[in-house]
Amino acid sequence: MAKEMIAMLLAGGQGSRLYALTQKLAKPAVPFGGKYRIIDFPLSNCVNSGIDTVGILTQYQPLVLNEYIGNGQPWDLDRLYGGVHVLPPYQQASGSDWYKGTANAIYQNISFIERYNPQYVIILSGDQICKQDYSDFLRFHKEKGAEFSVAVMEVPWDEASRFGLMVADENDKITEFQEKPKNPKSNLASMGIYIFNWDILKKYLVEDEADPNSENDFGNNIIPNLLRDGRNMYAYHFDGYWKDVGTISSLWEANMEVLDPEHSGINLFDENWKIYSRNSGMTGHKIGSDAVVENSMITDGCRIHGHVKHSILFAGVQVEPGAVVEDAVVMGGTVIKAGAVVKHCIVAENVVVGENAVVGAMPTETEKGVATVGSGIYIGDNAKIGPNAMVNNNVKGGEEQW
Amino acid sequence: MVNSNANALGILFPNSYDSLVPDLVGERLMASIPFAGRYRMVDFMLSSMVNCGIDNVSLIVRKNYHSLMDHLGSGREWDLTRKNGGLNIVPPFADKSVKVYNGRVEALSNILDFLRSQKEQYVVMSDTNIAANFDFKAMINEHITSGADVTIAYSKEEIPASSRQTISTNRGLYYTLDVEDGIVKEIYINPKDEGIQNFSLNIYVVGREFLIEQIHNAFVRGYSYFERDIVAPQLDTLKVHGFLFEGYIARISDMKNYFDENMKLLDDANVDALFSPSPIYTKIRDDNPTRYIQGAVAKNIMAADGCVIEGEVENCVLFRGVKIAKGAKVKNCVLMQDTVVGEGASVEYLITDKNVTISAGKEVKGTDTFPVYVAKNQTV
Repeated sequence: MAKEMIAMLLAGGQGSRLYALTQKLAKPAVPFGGKYRIIDFPLSNCVNSGIDTVGILTQYQPLVLNEYIGNGQPWDLDRLYGGVHVLPPYQQASGSDWYKGTANAIYQNISFIERYNPQYVIILSGDQICKQDYSDFLRFHKEKGAEFSVAVMEVPWDEASRFGLMVADENDKITEFQEKPKNPKSNLASMGIYIFNWDILKKYLVEDEADPNSENDFGNNIIPNLLRDGRNMYAYHFDGYWKDVGTISSLWEANMEVLDPEHSGINLFDENWKIYSRNSGMTGHKIGSDAVVENSMITDGCRIHGHVKHSILFAGVQVEPGAVVEDAVVMGGTVIKAGAVVKHCIVAENVVVGENAVVGAMPTETEKGVATVGSGIYIGDNAKIGPNAMVNNNVKGGEEQW
Repeated sequence: MVNSNANALGILFPNSYDSLVPDLVGERLMASIPFAGRYRMVDFMLSSMVNCGIDNVSLIVRKNYHSLMDHLGSGREWDLTRKNGGLNIVPPFADKSVKVYNGRVEALSNILDFLRSQKEQYVVMSDTNIAANFDFKAMINEHITSGADVTIAYSKEEIPASSRQTISTNRGLYYTLDVEDGIVKEIYINPKDEGIQNFSLNIYVVGREFLIEQIHNAFVRGYSYFERDIVAPQLDTLKVHGFLFEGYIARISDMKNYFDENMKLLDDANVDALFSPSPIYTKIRDDNPTRYIQGAVAKNIMAADGCVIEGEVENCVLFRGVKIAKGAKVKNCVLMQDTVVGEGASVEYLITDKNVTISAGKEVKGTDTFPVYVAKNQTV
């Protein structure tokens, strides 16, 4: 039985620009939005779009991600035929290799794809926050008679040179590809989401692998080669919410946007397009008699006795009396002790912020940093963490770190 | 076989004491009454069994069990999707007419063949009207070391006023025990005594073979109740052991007490006591986190995921997906799943069942001694 389309999700990225947050886990496993991890978005999109077979390509710190995905049940991806599969690099008779690039990762798993004999393969990226109906993208791909399509977003012209850009004609047919050009000819940025006809993808993967000078990358090698051969390539316009959360500031920003679904366009409250996740299983959260909670999102297991303003708290966070949390992203199991002040920052999982300690600060004209505290860190009483700090080691009581 | 599991199978009676809360069981049964924000009553005993290594659990349902089937599904959330054992829901057997059982003797006599075919040495039985983090392992161990034929769990509790006031036995039997050195000397049926009693939890451990024999004998004599007709009359000849449970207990005995038991969980110490040492599992709904919109005021509440709060809420237990609109004032309420309180509405001492809507501007108030109940799917 053939599958019409299966998904290959690139989740090998180290996410080095997330520093403290990705010391022990891969970027797609980074917690997001109160009870999710980044990878919940592409996985939920798949299952909501009717895709029931997903290969997840991992290689950096896969432990947390593997455990999180498990058998795929939270996403309804525990299937008899298909379902979700984690695909790390493996040893073959011809030798073994790490995934050398995005294209090579798919190349090494050609046999996985062939088991399902799909007509189309969609390539997804595990580091974006986006709610997207891939079935609409496939409809576009089929209507255009495309061999390759790429999802694109219109970006402001003055930012265009930061992206890989698709130049397309009035029929959306791609005529040129510019990777981060100085003089952009288009403002259609590639989202890194592609649909290929499987026969075409396979042909170009094999050809690319044979080229010793190739970086084995979709953007740098496969797409230019398709253009060179004049393949039917189309750009699918996506105008929903999309955010690459590859940096601390963009991750923080995306979390804050979740608090304002009416304006930001990222609505996690949509019954028709649920984002699934593995649940914490904790009891309902508690707001104490003297607590103040303003404009925030709070989930199971939290105990709030302090002042929480415009923040996102993950499962099991405790905010003790007199503590202030503002414009902050506080991940699961973290304890913010009495009198501590946590502002404009990301605090990872299972951190202890000691009594009267200060983490981060509200932005000023010159200083807009988002302080970041890595998981499991202990910040002593009265310690001070500056707005640009990236905390990877325990901070003793009374010490300062900037 | 390498196995840390208990050598016992579990049996739950999800319909017991339905009659105590007739409003709440209009479209469900005791086991599926929502409790503590995101749970159903059955979750507590079921999770406790699983946490104690009992992975073969049967629920003998009587009626109104659609909601329970929906809640339990395949039993996956409780880790009971097993090839051997796992979750087993036993509906009434529809022969020429559907026969609905009364009492545990009839219920168990329906599954004697099943009991004969099982391998576990002991059987653990419980109702679902009690929310507790129950230690079945300790109870089974006591049963074994004491060499008892029957072990009954009890707690030190007062008999609820509503039970003492009613004369009718139709509302369910309850028992207190006279216990001396761990031996149950006397079982009192529906006593009216005031003050702290050895209040039976109706949780039993018995040998499987022993149970089969006793049920068989009782059934042919036309007996109905395990406690009244089997254990109580044989206290002289059987060794009946009492197991004192000292953990936190929420026992549902009437509507007022349902309200109070929910409210008691606003105290963190009670939540910690009920939800430790082991987790309580429940059906996952995949709600988003609860959102407090600008202007919301929340004081002393417990809330599950999926709520959207724009108004004022104080001293409340909010179940999953409750919406409180702008300008609404909600005080001292238990609001079940997907209750909507409209703009400017004002409610106090209210229990709303699933999917209730309080229209904008409406005012509904009960009192602390008599909370108002609004039935499922109703609009006020």
